[in-house]
Amino acid sequence: MIITQYMREEHRHCDDVFADAEKAVIDGDFQKAEERFIAFADDTLKHFKKEEETLFPTFEEVTGNTEGPTRVMRFEHEQVRGLIGKMAGAIEKKDKDAYLSLAESMMILLQQHNMKEEQMLYAMCDRMIPQDIKEQTLEKMKAL
Amino acid sequence: MFSQGGLSLEQAPPISVVLRFFITGAAFGVLLGVYLIGSSFSSVQAFGGNTFNLIVTHILALGVMASFMLGALFQMLPVIAGVVINVPTKKAMVVHLLLVVGVLFQLFAFSKNSSFFYLFSALFLGSGLLYATPVMLKEVMSINDHSSSSKGMLFALGSFVIAIGFGLYMLLTLGGYSSGSFFTEIKEAHYSFALMGWVGLLIASISFQVVEMFYVTPKYPEVISRYFTLTVFMLLLLKTMSLMAGVGTNIIDIILALLFIAYATITLHRLYKRKRPTSDATVWFWRLGMGLLIVGMTLTLLGNIIDFSHKLQLLSYITFIGFALSIVFAMVYKIVPFLVWFHLSNQGYMEAPMMHDVIHPKKAKIHFVMHIGMLLSWLPVAFLDILIIKVVASLLLLISFAWLLYHLLDAGGKYRYTQKYCERIEW
Ligand SMILES: [Fe+2]
Ligand SMILES: [Fe+2]
Repeated sequence: MIITQYMREEHRHCDDVFADAEKAVIDGDFQKAEERFIAFADDTLKHFKKEEETLFPTFEEVTGNTEGPTRVMRFEHEQVRGLIGKMAGAIEKKDKDAYLSLAESMMILLQQHNMKEEQMLYAMCDRMIPQDIKEQTLEKMKAL
Repeated sequence: MFSQGGLSLEQAPPISVVLRFFITGAAFGVLLGVYLIGSSFSSVQAFGGNTFNLIVTHILALGVMASFMLGALFQMLPVIAGVVINVPTKKAMVVHLLLVVGVLFQLFAFSKNSSFFYLFSALFLGSGLLYATPVMLKEVMSINDHSSSSKGMLFALGSFVIAIGFGLYMLLTLGGYSSGSFFTEIKEAHYSFALMGWVGLLIASISFQVVEMFYVTPKYPEVISRYFTLTVFMLLLLKTMSLMAGVGTNIIDIILALLFIAYATITLHRLYKRKRPTSDATVWFWRLGMGLLIVGMTLTLLGNIIDFSHKLQLLSYITFIGFALSIVFAMVYKIVPFLVWFHLSNQGYMEAPMMHDVIHPKKAKIHFVMHIGMLLSWLPVAFLDILIIKVVASLLLLISFAWLLYHLLDAGGKYRYTQKYCERIEW
């Protein structure tokens, strides 16, 4: 379960940073909100990069399936990227209501995405990818 | 599983499927309010009498609750359980029409005590509900990798089928088409499966997924998410058999109440531990709902240990209804804005209204206050027979549902407006 464990940790970390940013917006501290939101965006995009460039290709190679789960996950990454752009705009304009509204959509989108990865995709990776390749993949992701 | 591509919001049914059921649920709530106000002014026997109880219970259970829950299932089965319902729009329409007509016939049957209407309501409700549930059951049963949610939905749907079966039997008995042996026992089993099985288990299995997802909470402990729904379902079966065999069911009722208290306490704790700082109205609806579940189940528990006055039993019914409605409202105010935003932005409308533009959290907050007022006003109704209290309580109930109805219609209107007048980008 090394893949699931490592990636789940990253999801949890992003959740924490996101919650910090949301709290700062509620408190009206937009300086801190901006700083935390940028951290969230960076971490999330980096996590996506690890998946799209390392984990998903390995999964696709091992299973020979490029049309299945990874296609759905990539599509959802695009949706999240779009929302990150809009949220950055709301922070810039110090628009509290718009930010909180987008944050709501973002969390539902991201949480259901992460759940599917943790319960299904990562679990499948851990089950189907041979141990040595799995360790290599993990190292590559950590190095990114 | 994934291979069907089912596990994606991409796979979600069109918004009309969900809205049609939600709007119907709210409309039946308004109807209930009208009926209650009308009954307040009629004789004492009418308010709290046998016919009155039947009508109120079934507007609530079938008109309101079943509508909301079928809508939620049509939406959530594809997303949560990876179940693909083919041609959802058509199926939803058929189920919806049969349900609405069936409930209306049933209400006529109760009030006129007419065997003709009993038969027709049995036909419509039976065909509508027994058409919907196997469609869903079959798909849920074919899942290989069960999550705690999908397994729970299986037991909830199973309970629904059983409750419907017993209900049809009773309708036919009341209409004079069946001799009605074991009527009292079946009635008790019918209520247990409908309330604890269908309503209770469905809410629990949805919460296993949704509480974590909406509020970013720690996971439910494995014992609960794995075994809760199964255990409750088995106990309900055992209770039914004991009823038929004429054996006392107190111990089973006590265990059931304890299980639900444990579930509610754990859910409250999840919410307390949530990572997201927001305390919007939906969080409060969840807290209130779980609090009411604990109160209601504690009353049930006590009722099985000491001899209980009829009024306190009534109170435990009111709290259970309060629980179910609170959770329904908590879900609706999150799901509907999300779906409107989600579907529109997926269709390429750059100006898709954001969640807060669809239904602003302030509207949900106002509804929460009205809901609390409504529930509080019903407390004295259980104990006192004063006209003005009944009218106020009924009026508050009507306003509460009308408020929801208005915002659901408005959300649908905004959806159609965007589709009609906003620019769409193909991608
Ligand atoms: Fe991902
Ligand atoms: Fe991920």
